[in-house]
Amino acid sequence: MALRTEELMLNMGPQHPSTHGVLRLVVTLDGENVMDVQPDIGYLHSSVEKMMEHRTYVQNVALVDRGMDYLIALNNEQAYCLAVEQLAGIVTPERARYIRVIFDELNRIASHLVWLGTWAIDLGATTVFLWCFREREMILDLFEKVTGGRLHHVYYRLGGVYADLPEGWVEECGAFLDYFLTRVDEYETLLTKNPIFLARTKGVGTISRADAIAMGASGPVARASGVAYDVRKAAPYEVYDRMEFNVPVLTDGDCYARYLVRLTEMRESVRILRQALLNLPGGEIRARVPMTMKAPRGEIYVHTESPRGDLGIYLVSDGGETPYRVKIRAPSFSNLYALTEMMKGWKIADVIAILGSIDIVLSDVDR
Amino acid sequence: MDVSNRFHGLLALPIDPETGKDLCIICFQCERICPDRCIHIEAEGKGKERVLTRFDIEMDKCCYCGYCVEVCPTEAIVFVPHYEASTYNRDQLLYNLDDLHRAAPKEPIARGIIGGRVP
Repeated sequence: MALRTEELMLNMGPQHPSTHGVLRLVVTLDGENVMDVQPDIGYLHSSVEKMMEHRTYVQNVALVDRGMDYLIALNNEQAYCLAVEQLAGIVTPERARYIRVIFDELNRIASHLVWLGTWAIDLGATTVFLWCFREREMILDLFEKVTGGRLHHVYYRLGGVYADLPEGWVEECGAFLDYFLTRVDEYETLLTKNPIFLARTKGVGTISRADAIAMGASGPVARASGVAYDVRKAAPYEVYDRMEFNVPVLTDGDCYARYLVRLTEMRESVRILRQALLNLPGGEIRARVPMTMKAPRGEIYVHTESPRGDLGIYLVSDGGETPYRVKIRAPSFSNLYALTEMMKGWKIADVIAILGSIDIVLSDVDR
Repeated sequence: MDVSNRFHGLLALPIDPETGKDLCIICFQCERICPDRCIHIEAEGKGKERVLTRFDIEMDKCCYCGYCVEVCPTEAIVFVPHYEASTYNRDQLLYNLDDLHRAAPKEPIARGIIGGRVP
């Protein structure tokens, strides 16, 4: 008598600890082979876009901080402030633009460290997690000294930044960067040539260049598949056009390539940070923008390179104190949908490795 | 735990040591700028007799953005270094005028105007 076989539908999440938030993956299994994966999202929907319509342009800075991706508050503020400034024609002073670049890059490193630590712990490497969070703590301390906040800063203002850097901060940050580069090498000793790590990531979860583009992937996920696109190079904002840095691009498109791209990005961020700290000009840090500013009637789309990819803000103004409509192009959302392509044909044990490698934050996906 | 002197902790209303009164001039700017609308102010009297009758902050709604501290023209509302506000009861997170006076340290750490002041 022949045994009856059938496909198994398995719900992973929304409470699974390795989904990095409240995400449900509906996995179709044939034995332990993954036939199909459908992400089910919406558990963390907070209607940020709608809430922004009821707050003034100034108040919204505090909202994009926490309503979108909570790990990259400063990059969110950057995208939003840039959109309003371009719409209202506000010119940011030189010093503020440098300070913004410094904080964008520090936040990028902090975000990548969270990703590396949590992904490594998914794969069973506990030490990496502890080491990464040790360095991230130092970045948060640097943030706290300037912005007063550790995760949610509300530091950028329309037309500049809230407060100037305190005395000695630039030297402190420089010292941290020197220390940090040696730590990145240390992470590599744990992972890059580790046979267990290689077996779980090399060649796993591949996505081709064409698929990555078709699914709208951006950021490190796209760059690991050979898409040489970085908004900081393609459409430079603030003072990125004056910075010298490379955009790491690999063609393998697997988990390992995504790991290498992010690791190289951290080093490149240090390079940008050093240049910005060195060339930091003096002068004003904030243009005169009234707290009750009104943006002229019109619309604008601005995109920036957040640690997860291409973060865009589409803003429509009817000339009032609040935006008429806001649309956020969240990088995690697009990257999550490339997941379906990556997962096909892999084993159930690889699902966690592949999911972790795309670095999603669910508050960014759901908004 | 030591925090930086710009830390966004709990809010407080320090009393002016010279006059023994509130520094607040009842301009309602903090109430207006608050993104979460968690500050409620009421006042009585006219001219120099004008006094605060109500200054409530719903700390459960507060997002610690610091706009109120920033816009205050007299530095009447400041951040204090305390950050542990957990309670078992939501009512205890409604801070009234007396609570906010009590919370004020002798040396408030986060002052409103640090960098370029915007009128």
